[in-house]
Amino acid sequence: MSDALVTARDLTVRFVSRDATVHAVNGVDFDLAPREVLCILGESGSGKSVTLRSLMRLNPEARTRMSGTLMVDGHDVMAAGEAEMAELRGSVVSMIFQEPMTALDPVFTIGQQIAETIIRHEHLSHTAAQRRALELLELVQIPSAKRRLAAYPHELSGGLRQRAMIAIALSCRPKLLLADEPTTALDATVQIQILLLLRRLQQEMGMGVIFVTHDLGVAGEIADRVAVMYAGRFIEEGPVGALMRAPLHPYAQGLLGATVHAGLRGTRLTTIPGAPPNLERLPTGCAFAPRCAYAEDLCLAALPAARSPVAGRAARCVRVQDAA
Amino acid sequence: MTDSEAVADLPPPVDLGGPAQPLLTVRGLTKHFPFKGGMLGRTAGVVQAVDDVSFELRKGETLGIVGESGCGKSTTSRLIMSLILPSAGEVLFDGQLVGPGGMALKDYRRQVQMVFQDSYSSLNPRLTIQESIAFAPTVHGLNPLAARGRAQDLLQAVGLNPTQFARRYPHELSGGQRQRVNIARALALRPRLIILDEPVSALDKSVEAQVLNLLSDLKTQFGLTYLFISHDLNVVQYMSDRVLVMYLGRIAEIGPVDQIYDTPAHPYTAALLASRPSMDPDHRREHAPLTGDPPNPVNPPSGCRFRTRCSFAEPVCAQTVPELAPLDRGQAAACLMVNDPRHSRHLEFSPGSGAHPKKHTAPIKQAAQARGAA
Repeated sequence: MSDALVTARDLTVRFVSRDATVHAVNGVDFDLAPREVLCILGESGSGKSVTLRSLMRLNPEARTRMSGTLMVDGHDVMAAGEAEMAELRGSVVSMIFQEPMTALDPVFTIGQQIAETIIRHEHLSHTAAQRRALELLELVQIPSAKRRLAAYPHELSGGLRQRAMIAIALSCRPKLLLADEPTTALDATVQIQILLLLRRLQQEMGMGVIFVTHDLGVAGEIADRVAVMYAGRFIEEGPVGALMRAPLHPYAQGLLGATVHAGLRGTRLTTIPGAPPNLERLPTGCAFAPRCAYAEDLCLAALPAARSPVAGRAARCVRVQDAA
Repeated sequence: MTDSEAVADLPPPVDLGGPAQPLLTVRGLTKHFPFKGGMLGRTAGVVQAVDDVSFELRKGETLGIVGESGCGKSTTSRLIMSLILPSAGEVLFDGQLVGPGGMALKDYRRQVQMVFQDSYSSLNPRLTIQESIAFAPTVHGLNPLAARGRAQDLLQAVGLNPTQFARRYPHELSGGQRQRVNIARALALRPRLIILDEPVSALDKSVEAQVLNLLSDLKTQFGLTYLFISHDLNVVQYMSDRVLVMYLGRIAEIGPVDQIYDTPAHPYTAALLASRPSMDPDHRREHAPLTGDPPNPVNPPSGCRFRTRCSFAEPVCAQTVPELAPLDRGQAAACLMVNDPRHSRHLEFSPGSGAHPKKHTAPIKQAAQARGAA
């Protein structure tokens, strides 16, 4: 698919140190269409944030070994030089993080931080950049935006800081927005505001979004498609509704079953026994097999290929029947 | 205490008041934190973290406390534990006043234990987990051999194999395993009440489910009473018999879990419930029920603290502090407008699955009329 905004083929990311090699991402394939919202769902250590960061090549350079194909808006992220990456970051692809207090610079005002990006990429004058910064704060619905331009991050509440970070990310109208758990640190009543804001901005600006979360409910509110990650692989991928109603992979089934939601009161929660594998010594077969109730010899012999029972859905499990 | 004085088993706690006596009674609990500021370092203001909180915890029940950050739920738990001293108010345990003039803290803390959110910082990194669990029983006079034996029994009870885990240090365990150790340590003195302060918030979903199942099992096995604090409305609904909703240091609403979730009477409770993601991609939330963040507890709004974000606040809400008024079937809400005819309209939030009020108007109105007639 040449018109995809993002194309990843056999994306592999390893972190190498003297003592050990951590296999964080182990062969991820996906396409993201323009204006599409993909949610990567997984538990801590599943490689979801590393996948996201590799799209902007933000993983620590000295220790990171990347391989495979990774194209973002026609640019080859694997081959690009540092200067080309700096040009891409902010203008074509930008990112919002979980903790705005550490992502924002504490010694510059919100206005300065937004203007900096605009001046760097679009070579506007300082006054024009300030004017755009004001528009952006209004776009992300920060009340009394003019006054907030001169505010430092610590003077804002958590919700406003997250809005300010979104304003910086959107300042050069990127085609792709990467979101790394942007609502996890927020209170419930603020989280829903930020989710609705992101959804509206995505539609208005026609961005592609890759949204990393561990929260099924968040995925249900914002995703078009969902990919479930386990031990550095996409073990299941599909449209959000179908995947949340009837997951195919035993791990995805376990994850959905273990999530507490209304109506479970008085019943016993289903759990997944055991713990995720050590990413320093990855098993040869299916990484979930040691915890899987349905595991058979076939699972341990070799990594199951992605099988697609219906168009648009796929799971790496030997129990799933391929349609073809 | 020397080893010769140490006993082989601690006497079990005695139920003084019988089943009708609440296990815990909290009356007018208030905590104001003064803070310094300005060039001269004078007291510049007061954070009203907890303000006039009163409730009862019945024997054998699980009371959930929910609220957003800064609402005072963790301060409340620390006040109950006597880890910090209240500015005003008192705590009664099984009918006895806790603290000077009443029950000694050492006796009280044998019966009330706590599990914290951060499983790593709440364990001593230099003690093996067996030593951590056996520590408190030894302080209370159990001989070291018996204490070690109890630690191993408790590790077994929380699903950790003692031969495999007893000699490990906290850093050698995963987050879920450490939280199991914290639960075992809380059980070591055979307490009657356990305060669980966000016990699963730092855990992954699959581990969260394991720990919640464990907590349910232990409650039955040891006949415990839980005070379960969380910001996760789904987890609180799953675990609790009754729910207490806090906003900016005060109780907004309290009642049986099904009533609170089906027919919330306080506009804040309704908004909080309607803020939950819908879990149904075909019926996504269209509107956020509230705008903005919770205000700063340093200078909370006058009158009703929720009025600045409440969509149907009236002038009277700025002048009068609403008292917690009883409604139907054990539910109580601190809202002045609870018997206003427009109230019901305001509690209708956008559709989604599961989380919102629909048929709640009748009991509230009846209760309001009943109070009006009285």
